[in-house]
Amino acid sequence: MPELRPILLVEDSPRDLELTLAALEKCQLANDIVIARDGAEAIDYLFGTGMHEGRPDGDPTVVLLDLKLPKVDGLEVLEKVKKHDKLRHIPIVMLTSSREEQDLVRSYELGVNAFVVKPVEFNEFFKAIQDLGVFWAILNEPPPGYKKS
Amino acid sequence: MSLTVSDLEACAREPIHIPGAIQPYGALLSLHPEDLSVAQASANLAGFIGEVVRPGERLPALLQPLSDRLAAWQATSEPTLQMRVAASDLQVTAHRSGGLIVVEVERNAADDTDGLLSRLRDFAQILSGQSDVEGSLTAAATFIENLTGFDRVLVYRFDRNWNGHVVAEAANGALPSYLDLRFPASDIPAQARALYASSRVRLIPDANYRPVPIEPALNPVTGEPLDLSLSQLRSVSPVHLEYMRNMGTASSMSVSIIIDGRLWGLVSCHSAAAKVVSNTLRDICDFVVQSLAMRVSALLHAVDAESRVALGRISSRLLASMSAGASWPRGLIQVEDDLLAQVRARGAVIVTEDDYLAVGMVPDEAHVRSLVDWLKENVSEDIYQTSSLARDFRAGEAFAAEASGMVAIRISELYPSWLIWFRPEVITTVNWGGDPHKVVREEGRIHPRRSFDAWREQVHLTAPEWSEAELSAARDLRGAIVGIVLRKAEELAELSGELQRSNKELEAFSYSVSHDLRAPFRHIVGFAQLLREREQALDEKSRHYLHNISDSALAAGRLVDDLLNFSQLGRTSIAIKEVDMNKLVAEVVKSVMINAEGRDIEWSIARLPSAQGDATLLRQVWFNLIDNAVKYTRPRAPAKIMIDGSLDGDIVKFSVSDNGVGFDMTYAGKLFGVFQRLQRAEDFEGTGIGLALVRRIVERHNGSITASGEVDKGATFVFALPTPERKGRAIA
Repeated sequence: MPELRPILLVEDSPRDLELTLAALEKCQLANDIVIARDGAEAIDYLFGTGMHEGRPDGDPTVVLLDLKLPKVDGLEVLEKVKKHDKLRHIPIVMLTSSREEQDLVRSYELGVNAFVVKPVEFNEFFKAIQDLGVFWAILNEPPPGYKKS
Repeated sequence: MSLTVSDLEACAREPIHIPGAIQPYGALLSLHPEDLSVAQASANLAGFIGEVVRPGERLPALLQPLSDRLAAWQATSEPTLQMRVAASDLQVTAHRSGGLIVVEVERNAADDTDGLLSRLRDFAQILSGQSDVEGSLTAAATFIENLTGFDRVLVYRFDRNWNGHVVAEAANGALPSYLDLRFPASDIPAQARALYASSRVRLIPDANYRPVPIEPALNPVTGEPLDLSLSQLRSVSPVHLEYMRNMGTASSMSVSIIIDGRLWGLVSCHSAAAKVVSNTLRDICDFVVQSLAMRVSALLHAVDAESRVALGRISSRLLASMSAGASWPRGLIQVEDDLLAQVRARGAVIVTEDDYLAVGMVPDEAHVRSLVDWLKENVSEDIYQTSSLARDFRAGEAFAAEASGMVAIRISELYPSWLIWFRPEVITTVNWGGDPHKVVREEGRIHPRRSFDAWREQVHLTAPEWSEAELSAARDLRGAIVGIVLRKAEELAELSGELQRSNKELEAFSYSVSHDLRAPFRHIVGFAQLLREREQALDEKSRHYLHNISDSALAAGRLVDDLLNFSQLGRTSIAIKEVDMNKLVAEVVKSVMINAEGRDIEWSIARLPSAQGDATLLRQVWFNLIDNAVKYTRPRAPAKIMIDGSLDGDIVKFSVSDNGVGFDMTYAGKLFGVFQRLQRAEDFEGTGIGLALVRRIVERHNGSITASGEVDKGATFVFALPTPERKGRAIA
């Protein structure tokens, strides 16, 4: 059985975190979910630095990245990852509360893989998160040299 | 034969200030200032002082008594020195020229100067009694005629172009009257006018005189001919003598009228026979003319001041109207009488980027536009004036009747805007002293004309001249307009700056609202749902409460979404493309029906013309209108919804009608306002932003939208969009 690569969820709001986890739980993915509570922590995990120094090998299969984060915000995390030779293949889905034109434009400029506005309606929200999980963790073909999760 | 440019230049180049000779009614010698030794002398000097004098010799014996006074005068800055030689009847005048002292000697004529003082006093009284310029000029001419005994005394006034006009005359009939005759500027060339201005009195006692040479010819100090600009005896140009002979006058004297430092005119005296006027009498004439000049200057200034005050009053009314008006041109046009009175014009037009306004007598618009084009090409100054437009602008002949006189002021360089005043053509008869267009040329040099018979000319394509006061009023108004235009521009810039700031704040606000307000609603909805799924044992009441919580949070979340949508609409750019409205409507109807399953709706959708616009935004328009139609026909079975479209000239119109609950036309104006709802919230859901959003989208497409309805019968919404043929203009 091939080793499953984790999903990295970067979310500072405890309520959003709880709802997102509930949604992911419902799709019964076998992947681990690694949680980072702000941008700095996400970078530490991705780059294997700071508190995540010496973390197990294997990059996340997808990063679900909230746009508005304390310290280092989502756009900065996105920029750092997409500029890095080895990490730029990791799919990043930007999650945000509002569809701000400038954020959308900027995200795509920086090479985001998907941009999702969190729906207010719970069923829609659930469905969106589940679809994301299923699509990126199961359906998506990673570039050659990467293990499918 | 007409005078050519080169002829005029030849005449104007004649060096009349260094003729090297004098008139024989006096004698001249020049002295070295250090020792008063003789530098040059006229060939006739011996005839006046009784001895022959050679250059290098000391001051002649007869003039010796004057040496102390000459030495004393040298230390002063007085321009001239006048002396009488006690032992003889000689009158001596000295002035400086070219490093030398020029001494002119004349015989003292036996003039009757008895009672002169009382006559001068009488003249002063007469002059001060004159209330106008003409009267003053005539009084002075009469006085000088009496005093000197010349046959004819003329007062000659220069116009702006140096043509002369005889405006007063006193004569005994021995010579023909020249009153009201005009003389072209070429009669008195520029260098002659310059001499008139620097030395006020000049006498030619006999036009047939033989010039007396000055010996040696060159000034030993400068090595050049002696400058006789300030000499009274200076020999005059042969052309001038010929002119006099042609005029039938053997002697002449002229006194310059200098007003405000400028040569304003001449008092010109003539006699048929030769005539000498003594130095003393010439000085008295000069004094009289100077008094006249002061009087005329005062009168002109009074007239000028009066008209300036009147124009000032007009100006302030124009200014007030301009500041109050919607724009400066509108403001000016509102007080059209004042606008014309400002420069005493008969018509005026204002041409700006957006406006064409005309008052009074003006050429038709096409002509004015061609004139403006010409101004743009040919005039670089801010103000252009003419009293004969057709002379500068040939095509102007076509509308000379309305516009022979013109003052045009340029308001802006950036956007061609002009204020132009017009004066109509006034056909005048000018009496010339001889045909001014005819000058005789013989033997390679020009001659003055021979005939001074009055020559009448009809002058066409000309309007009365604009006065200095009128032109300065035009300049002042320009200043005021430019000031207002600039101030308005500054105010606008300031306003738009403020607008930008408040827009930025609004943007920041909506950004934080979208994040911070939307999230809690999502959380409420989410957790309520989780709770519902988890607590299967909830009683009916609790389920109902939970449902209300989700519903309310959901509604609030939608409101935030709608609001953001609305606020973003003003900021995002719209991409205009051809949109197939048939496809769009079919797709919208399908998606609206997802939430209205089971409803009995009769659709009637016509074939729609395509439109130009942003497909996403137009979809939103259709969605909101059709969604509304479906919503407000809920009580009907069957519901009827009609969708139609047509091309009307350069506008496409679309309509959505229904047989729903309708609305009271009293509130039609409120329909498109933000948060305006005409139905009770429990009857029909909605945030009250939908129609406001629709209107905003349509208006951003330069279109318009209207609604009509009747309570319990239905409603119709019609929106119109411009086609590409209707470029850039909004549908009012």
